[in-house]
Amino acid sequence: MTELTRARIRDLMGQVLANQGKVLPDDDDADLREIGFRSLDFSELALRVEDETDEELNFDAAGLRRIATVGDVLDFLADLQRP
Amino acid sequence: MSDPTMSDPTTSAPPVSPSTVVLVSGGSRGLGLAIVTDLLDAGLRVAAFARTVTPELAKLAANHPDRSHVGPVDVTDLAAVQAFVRAAEQHLGPIDGLVNNAAVGQDSLHVHTATADLAGIVETNLTAPLQLTRLVVRRMLAQGRRGRIVNITSICGQRGFPGLVAYSATKGGMDAATRSLARELGGRVLVNAVAPGFFASEMSAVLGQTQLDQIVRRTPTGHLTEPDEVLPVVRMLLREQTNINGQVLVVDGAASI
Repeated sequence: MTELTRARIRDLMGQVLANQGKVLPDDDDADLREIGFRSLDFSELALRVEDETDEELNFDAAGLRRIATVGDVLDFLADLQRP
Repeated sequence: MSDPTMSDPTTSAPPVSPSTVVLVSGGSRGLGLAIVTDLLDAGLRVAAFARTVTPELAKLAANHPDRSHVGPVDVTDLAAVQAFVRAAEQHLGPIDGLVNNAAVGQDSLHVHTATADLAGIVETNLTAPLQLTRLVVRRMLAQGRRGRIVNITSICGQRGFPGLVAYSATKGGMDAATRSLARELGGRVLVNAVAPGFFASEMSAVLGQTQLDQIVRRTPTGHLTEPDEVLPVVRMLLREQTNINGQVLVVDGAASI
């Protein structure tokens, strides 16, 4: 399985936001609510990661509720790729 | 035969007697355990199974050895369910009431739910109770008995909640089955469903605090449903003469209205 780097996931996250005319800040502490990154955007990002790794990423919603910042998103998806 | 139902509109079926021997699936904890306790307190004979017999259920059985029959059975294991039903009827007498309560929850967005998990939710929450109902109704009909069935469903069967897609589909499916079964069984077996709102515990644990707070704010009674508030409704459907049949009774403080 191909494992995407944190930097590559950040690129993809930037694409998800750019498609909506939004900008991904450089700061990992940026609040997701302030930048308009919603739960469905997270799903889109996770599915983009799946496309590149060719591996399904399934997870409970409980983990999503703890995600508040850009860094949380990157950490979550990076961790999820590790068996 | 033009009409596949057993209904005969020209004759009225006599009232269905109150249930005296009730089978409860998923009776080891939460609402299921509360239903078992309530029915035993009301003097009924109760058979209950769950994947695991909790100490609470075992204690109940020990306190009512002549009126209870419990065992560890996975509701998706049809052979084990059949064996349990036979043993329960040998112990307690013919089953004339069924509470389909066993279910698994969900806490995942549909696109991120593993296909095996999705199939498991459908198997446990929809296929298994349909199989159990078929089994119990076949025994009732073969022995010329009448009976009552209560399906524990959920407000999720009627309203949408993120993270509960498959769960909601199964509960809505059981609501639909309730109506068709009531028609099909022509008043010989009363079939109803009870659809609780979100409990403060258990299923509510899968919702975020923000979602729970929203539900409480939108609930005219100002609180989430408690299992104790569902018990009288289940007991009524099993015991009282009401002519309620084929209905889904929502117990949610009008949160969904």
